[in-house]
Amino acid sequence: MTAIAAERYTGASIKRSEDPRILTGAGRYVDDIKLPGMLHAAFVRSPLAHAGVLSVDVSAARALPGVVAALTGAELEAMTVPGPDALMALLGWAGPTPEFTLLATDKVRFMGDPVAIVIAESRYVAEDGCELVEVEYDDLPPVMNASFALDPSSPPLFVNLGDNIARPHSRSEFGDVSGTFGNADRVTDFHIDVHRHQNVPMEGRGCVASYDADLGVMTVYAATQSVHVTRIAVAMRLGMEPDKVRVLAGDIGGSFGLKIGASREELAAAAASRLVGRPVKWVEDRGENLAASGQAREESFDVRAAVSNDGDLLGLDVKMVIDTGSYPGMGAMVPAIIEAMLPGPYKLAALGFESTAVTTNKACYVAYRGPWASETFVRERVLDLIARDLGLDPVEIRLRNVAPRTDPPALMITGRPLAGVTTRESLERVGQLMDFPAFRRRQAEARAQGRYLGIGVATFIEAAPGPRLPEGSSDPMGAESMRLRLEEDGIVALFTGQMPHGQSHQTTLAQIAADEFGVPFEQVRIVVGDTDVVPFGLTGGSRSATMTGGVALHGARQLKAKVLDFAAHLMEASAQDLLITDGNVWVRGDPASAITVTDVARRAASGQFGADVDATLEVEATFDGGEGGWSGGTHCAIVEVDVETGIVKVERYVAVEDCGALINPAVVEGQIRGGVAQGIGAVLLERSAYGEDGSFQSATFMDYLMPTACDVPRIEIEHLETVPLDADVNFRGVGEGGMIVAPPTVVNAIEDALSPFGVRIYEQHLPPARILELIAAADSGQ
Amino acid sequence: MADITLRVNGATCTGSPEARKTLADFLRDDLNLTGTHVGCEHGVCGACTVIVDGRAVRSCLMLAVQAAGSEVTTIEGLAPDGGLGTLQQAMWDSHSFQCGFCTPGFVMQATAFLSNHSDAGEQQIREALSGNICRCTGYQSIIDGVLLAAERNRER
Amino acid sequence: MKLPPVEYEAPTTVAEAIDLLAEHLDEASVLAGGQSLIPLLALRLARPAVLIDINGIDELSGVSATDGWVAIGAMTREYVAEESEEVADTVPLLAAALPLIGHEAIRSRGTIGGSLAHADPAAELPAVARALDAEFVMRGPSGERVIPAAQWFEGFLTTSRRPDELLVEVRFPAARRGAGVSFQEVARRHGDFAIVGLAVSLALSGGVISDARLAFAGMSDVPVRAAAAEDLLTGERPSAELFDEAARRATSDVDPPADLHGSSEYRKTVAAAVVRRGLRAAADNARERQ
Repeated sequence: MTAIAAERYTGASIKRSEDPRILTGAGRYVDDIKLPGMLHAAFVRSPLAHAGVLSVDVSAARALPGVVAALTGAELEAMTVPGPDALMALLGWAGPTPEFTLLATDKVRFMGDPVAIVIAESRYVAEDGCELVEVEYDDLPPVMNASFALDPSSPPLFVNLGDNIARPHSRSEFGDVSGTFGNADRVTDFHIDVHRHQNVPMEGRGCVASYDADLGVMTVYAATQSVHVTRIAVAMRLGMEPDKVRVLAGDIGGSFGLKIGASREELAAAAASRLVGRPVKWVEDRGENLAASGQAREESFDVRAAVSNDGDLLGLDVKMVIDTGSYPGMGAMVPAIIEAMLPGPYKLAALGFESTAVTTNKACYVAYRGPWASETFVRERVLDLIARDLGLDPVEIRLRNVAPRTDPPALMITGRPLAGVTTRESLERVGQLMDFPAFRRRQAEARAQGRYLGIGVATFIEAAPGPRLPEGSSDPMGAESMRLRLEEDGIVALFTGQMPHGQSHQTTLAQIAADEFGVPFEQVRIVVGDTDVVPFGLTGGSRSATMTGGVALHGARQLKAKVLDFAAHLMEASAQDLLITDGNVWVRGDPASAITVTDVARRAASGQFGADVDATLEVEATFDGGEGGWSGGTHCAIVEVDVETGIVKVERYVAVEDCGALINPAVVEGQIRGGVAQGIGAVLLERSAYGEDGSFQSATFMDYLMPTACDVPRIEIEHLETVPLDADVNFRGVGEGGMIVAPPTVVNAIEDALSPFGVRIYEQHLPPARILELIAAADSGQ
Repeated sequence: MADITLRVNGATCTGSPEARKTLADFLRDDLNLTGTHVGCEHGVCGACTVIVDGRAVRSCLMLAVQAAGSEVTTIEGLAPDGGLGTLQQAMWDSHSFQCGFCTPGFVMQATAFLSNHSDAGEQQIREALSGNICRCTGYQSIIDGVLLAAERNRER
Repeated sequence: MKLPPVEYEAPTTVAEAIDLLAEHLDEASVLAGGQSLIPLLALRLARPAVLIDINGIDELSGVSATDGWVAIGAMTREYVAEESEEVADTVPLLAAALPLIGHEAIRSRGTIGGSLAHADPAAELPAVARALDAEFVMRGPSGERVIPAAQWFEGFLTTSRRPDELLVEVRFPAARRGAGVSFQEVARRHGDFAIVGLAVSLALSGGVISDARLAFAGMSDVPVRAAAAEDLLTGERPSAELFDEAARRATSDVDPPADLHGSSEYRKTVAAAVVRRGLRAAADNARERQ
């Protein structure tokens, strides 16, 4: 269904080019970078959640041997350009814009808020220096929950906003909301909470910033999802022209949405390097990563559902409040995406949606793998709750409500067409794989022995990037660019703004290009991570399979055409009669005519051709996503709940997915499994915990618990035959789906396990103590 | 500061680390062996795992001075020059990793484990590796790599 | 999270170590396995002026069985004790608990003495020591003294060790013939500290419980014996009803701590389940050994 020239590599689990270095310790991460004269930064951080800063005295730190500089927020402010968060500005944020400084000057706004930076010969000494900085605080009442933030009497975090509203209340309606609710058989209310948790990549944030005063050039070695976005952020804050900022990135130890643009600390380190005239490295430690890098998902929903007695979900009316923490991040933009995605693949006829975003004295809200994931959690929870009320099977109620696949496609009530969605097939396939009747028998036997097993399903669609939008491109970020060049040594080089941090682009893009162009896999090189060299791009939003896979395919096709036009001169043949296979160019029907692609490249570079022959074997390609398409699927989990201890074990987990054509099945499956593991972690283990007094309580891995190899079962994955929408590019993204749909899958299974107790679950975080509370509360009729 | 001598990946190394410097930092900073990664600095994530005198240890929980006189193996020292050992090859074949940050710790821990448990089954391997955290893979591909290596070791 | 500046000493004999302790007293921390102390230093929660590293004192390692006791040198690595046949044969409760300590890499360095001197009430070895009435051999400037487990654990991370003393050895009594043991642990994940843990030893004679030891981990600021339950069990035949009642008695008068991982009420509820399970498992184990 993808008319790729050869299918030798595409669709196969080709071994990764990244692995030889990864497996031998030869990867190059930010903390591995050592530059001559390099210094190390550490930050003094606020122990309080909300306080005025009365004074900051860095003199003792400056006097410590080994400390080269210590800067206050005020000093940094004087050497940088104030402005909004760069990512928000790029995304066109027009809402309330808090005024803040890189390091706290007038006030601190969360426990861990950076107040001063110490630059020293080693990180050890920098931390010693930080202990010598004296800060006088004036304690303020902390705003630690949304209800206080909504109260006009709560002390505003940002003086210029005057309140704690990050995005004011707004409401939209789709379809006939009042009519649908007025005529429904039943209207039920739920309140659903999703808890605060966070990305936790194994490598934290960090950079090495190096300012060359002679050239006026700032070079930043970054861990980032986009070298160009980081460049813009650095240039803006440092008041530099972007072409005087170069951002380089090598290997990156995961991100999951965290490392986009530049954080306040990275910008402070860059400004400090410019001041001291030596490279400055800042790499956050785990405590900083947990307390200060940012968190996500703290969202609450009042949901009203209009339902028929037969289980049709007719309408939803949702009030959302999102706790965006303190400093601006993408939190205020999340409600709009949730609103757009709430209907999912269902026939929902009416949607009312209103939301408010608040600021609180917590770390800022950052993008975390599927930032809009709560729409799936809310919707899939509600369907199960309704099914339970009506005595319906969870698969049946979903099949009943899934929009049929029509041509032209049905539209989500919020606008996007459900083109090519295979939700029905995924639900049916899960039914076959899991044998529900057999499970129900086993469940009943287990219950008789005092063991509580449960089964849960949830289904989702992911705009990866989604079907073509009216604006032209399938993807809200617009078209994807790529430069492709046949190098003099015969290497087909792809220059992309993608910045892989686990996605295996070095391998997958080479598979596509090798197949389309006609060279062995080893003859393709993917070039990333240098703003001087790669076009604009960003890895995120599960878009690269389509957007970058697509531009690689089309670009390779264009480059091949150019190369064949040139080779036609060498071979005295017509370009239409030439083929490239296995690294050789040859005349169709005449294998003896073959010359290597490398020979062609050398001849082109030799400069022996006149102006009438185009020997520049390079193309700049763009791709708007083609027809695009949805990824999606149905996941199913079987769990066992120990009702004496509340411990939950995931016994079996099955994912039936449709992510279009697969470039590399092993890579796809790895993405799915990693996302599911994060979803299991969110439900059973992970919570970014704050006390009412503002203290941050999960600042080590002893308290922020990560899922381990004993917590994540084998995840069985089946890929559905997809509905191709585009003539050439039907690769679709899969990066976020696992994390989006796993939490409701697991929670649905837990509720099923506890159904004999009458438990109903309206939240996502279910540690053992909470499980026992839910059982006790249901027992006592609450 | 104390002068220490130790053997790292078969070569004799010397250094003068401050007493408070961890073995992890000494390997990375003083010996330029940056393959050992620092993921938490409080002994939970396992990314810093190396082998000291035949045992897998968390190098962030050892002081460099404590390794004086010891034999240390890091990820850089596992394989013959430019090649891959059995475990590394099996992990490559199994698509074990994604971002690679946790990888050295897993490889070292699994190496130590397999040398003492050549017949280990999946559950045992999972328990043995449950002290190493990976955020990308969901672990299955890593376990598959270890199982494959064990199988290949037995075949030899 | 870099360690703060600290002086460092590496004595090679116990006498040297004691001299250093006598000199620095509370300003010194003894560095054994480092698996608990180094994280505290990295988090800058512990700020000793001096680290006295006893890893170089060879005489502190070793397992020997004598005369109804197993003596374990304080610097004996947890993995050595785990692999020790003497421990497995003579102190099965200790053998049951050791594999639950953290992960293999922790046990490569962690020591029996270090864990017991650190005295984390949620850890496994303190509960075992308390259950078995282990003895702690201290050596100081004025000589040696032996402290029974009941007096060793004084409070949260606090023992009765004097600042000028070094823990040199821990002695565990040999298990009675036919005693059954179990170490139960409810933890968030494999290898984590116990939310609630229980060390159980039941000696059976002619089908009747002649000796019952139950010690909790995670239920207080020290490991605690469930004395009321032990009294109930002694002299009775194992039965589900007996074990249920023992669970009630073991948890009726407790006020366990609350933290991120569980409320006090939660720990109480789990403790009752853990007692039932632990007694069942120990009774089964006793039957197997007969």
